[in-house]
Amino acid sequence: MSLLSQKHLLGIEHITKEDIKLIFETATEFKEVLQRKIKKVPSLRDITIANLFFENSTRTRISFELAEKRLSADVINFSAASSSTKKGETLIDTVNNILAMKVDMIVMRHPNPGAHLLLSKHIDAQIVNAGDGTHEHPTQALLDAFSMQEQLGDLKGKKIAIFGDIKHSRVALSNIYCLQKLGAKVKVCGPPTLIPKYIESLGVEVSYNAQETLEWCDVANILRIQLERQDIKYIPSLREYNIAFGITKKMLDSLDKKIVVMHPGPMNRGVEIESDVADSEHSIILQQVENGVAIRMAVLYLLAGKGS
Amino acid sequence: MAYLLKKATIIDAQSLHHLQQKDILIDKGIIQKIAQTIPNEKHKIIENDNLYVSQGFVDLNCHIYQPGFEYREDMNTGLAAAANGGFTTVALMPNTLPVIDNKGQVAYLKSLAKNNIVDIVPIGALSKNCEGKDLAEIYDMQSEGLRLFSDGYKSVENAGVLERALLYVKKFDGVIMNHSDVRNISNDGQMNEGVLSTKLGLPASPKLAEDLMVARDIYLAEHSDSRIHFTNISTENAVKQIREAKKKGIKVTAAVNAYSLLLDDSLLLEYDTNFKLNPHLRTKKDIKALLNGLKDATIDCINSGHNPKHNDEKKVEFENAEFGISALDTAFAVARKATEKTLSLEELLEKFTSNPANLLKLQANKIEEGQAANLCFFNPDEEIVFEAKDLESKSKNTPFLGMKLKGNILGVFNNNKTK
Repeated sequence: MSLLSQKHLLGIEHITKEDIKLIFETATEFKEVLQRKIKKVPSLRDITIANLFFENSTRTRISFELAEKRLSADVINFSAASSSTKKGETLIDTVNNILAMKVDMIVMRHPNPGAHLLLSKHIDAQIVNAGDGTHEHPTQALLDAFSMQEQLGDLKGKKIAIFGDIKHSRVALSNIYCLQKLGAKVKVCGPPTLIPKYIESLGVEVSYNAQETLEWCDVANILRIQLERQDIKYIPSLREYNIAFGITKKMLDSLDKKIVVMHPGPMNRGVEIESDVADSEHSIILQQVENGVAIRMAVLYLLAGKGS
Repeated sequence: MAYLLKKATIIDAQSLHHLQQKDILIDKGIIQKIAQTIPNEKHKIIENDNLYVSQGFVDLNCHIYQPGFEYREDMNTGLAAAANGGFTTVALMPNTLPVIDNKGQVAYLKSLAKNNIVDIVPIGALSKNCEGKDLAEIYDMQSEGLRLFSDGYKSVENAGVLERALLYVKKFDGVIMNHSDVRNISNDGQMNEGVLSTKLGLPASPKLAEDLMVARDIYLAEHSDSRIHFTNISTENAVKQIREAKKKGIKVTAAVNAYSLLLDDSLLLEYDTNFKLNPHLRTKKDIKALLNGLKDATIDCINSGHNPKHNDEKKVEFENAEFGISALDTAFAVARKATEKTLSLEELLEKFTSNPANLLKLQANKIEEGQAANLCFFNPDEEIVFEAKDLESKSKNTPFLGMKLKGNILGVFNNNKTK
């Protein structure tokens, strides 16, 4: 069974530093596989994986599917808008129906925090969290930290800033847990209405000043700002967000060091990140995407108990 | 059938027998005799190593979901749970479907509870359809004997509406009861805002949402010189504000749900929907403040906060789960456990009996010879662990199953019935 300390990957909070290191080592090997002419290994040929996406996703879903196919798993995909399951069949019923067709693993994205934990108490299959509401998105955090490590080496003592909507971001929370486990220092930066009141109790610093935060950090991880998904307007306009918190080339040029710029996508060019930044030599945004496949291969492989 | 309670310690400050251990003979629904020893003449004997008797408990915050949501609780199961918990009177929240906002609905509810061992006192909706806009026909409902008016778990957001309601009920010395929650601050919060809500990624509501409305309502009560009852406070600041208001002579009373005294928000760690409650579970510091508030009489009453939900409404994702638990069966044992170090039994029973009864202006049923037997008998010190089968409520969703609580309700007398 699972070679990680947990049966499932529900979040970063409950895995260990050793788990993270093992995932990174395994991902490094898979990354090498992905450079080969034949990018496929037979490791999971006896495993059937269901990708259940109860919330829209393009890149995460494709990244998981590709990782599964590269490992030779059998893959089925299921997508449903959250509202239809809320009113009709329950989550547990939906998943049990799928499991009745002999599925070994579940990769799930769901709009509700804790949905994966609930599911883990009712089903036998292994679960990988591909995002649960505003809670966690562990594979994103792993690929982010992995990409940072490629650039900076050991993350111990490194300074990582996360910019944007921290309040509604699962990426931020998972990033915080993952980076702290690896010894990095984390600062979050955004408008006060988008910073959770108790975030400092997680051991992170808070800043409302983008320029100062850039001067502090080694890595700027810039999150997407979405106005359309917020029921309440926490900021007046994207224009004003851009003026106060948008990361520009001019800001990067003003620094006396070269920092790494990241973004989990999809980007709003001209809002949280200027095109000149996204396309600059600072940016490792496409490496993140590439590493995503290797990280997800590693997670699935280790959870399935393959390897030694 | 006549009943003889043997060596029962009577807790009833209004009775001559207060704090005395006596035998009590009950026949035809009347307390026939109270004496040091009453010989047994084929009476049904009720005895226990540690038998206590008090007036029947009165609950001021209870949802029985008939009409409309009978799958959660109907009148029969709800009142059976009440009796099982020691209650002989329950005030019913108006949030049914349709809501209890007119005299016809009040009469209908009363007809459902007719001849039951437990009396009901409907709480009339303060506004039509509990929408918080236009006042309901309060006088018409009052003519059915109602005194308490509230929109139930829906807080009245519009201060003007609440002010008018407070003024309107002055005609009959009525009481307005409000659930304190500024909804555009609590903002669909699923739990108390704190470190844990940040870790769980759940939308959370700050205590501020409750504190602000308590502050507002105290001002409104003072301005209108009318009575406001805070039905289920849960925060330190709410206690503080109500204490100050009482000192100033403003006509405020307050109650707390029993569960708020024992459970805190750290229990939500695993997204267990049995801890999804409204008011939310707060912190240990708030619990301490609530206990102090009970001790110094800032808080007058302890409610069950019975808000039963169907298992299907709980066995879902946390955000999709309904708020509330089944609580009538367990309320006393929960409160007794929570207050074992802070309140004497006498002090605790006031919060379950005379204080809520006074608020409803119920006729006192003193434990005296010749009085109607409306009482509860129990062992206040017995450790008790509830299992699902011990609950009379239709709903078994409670976090208290398997938990060590204190105080075993042995039965009640009321309306010439016993259970």
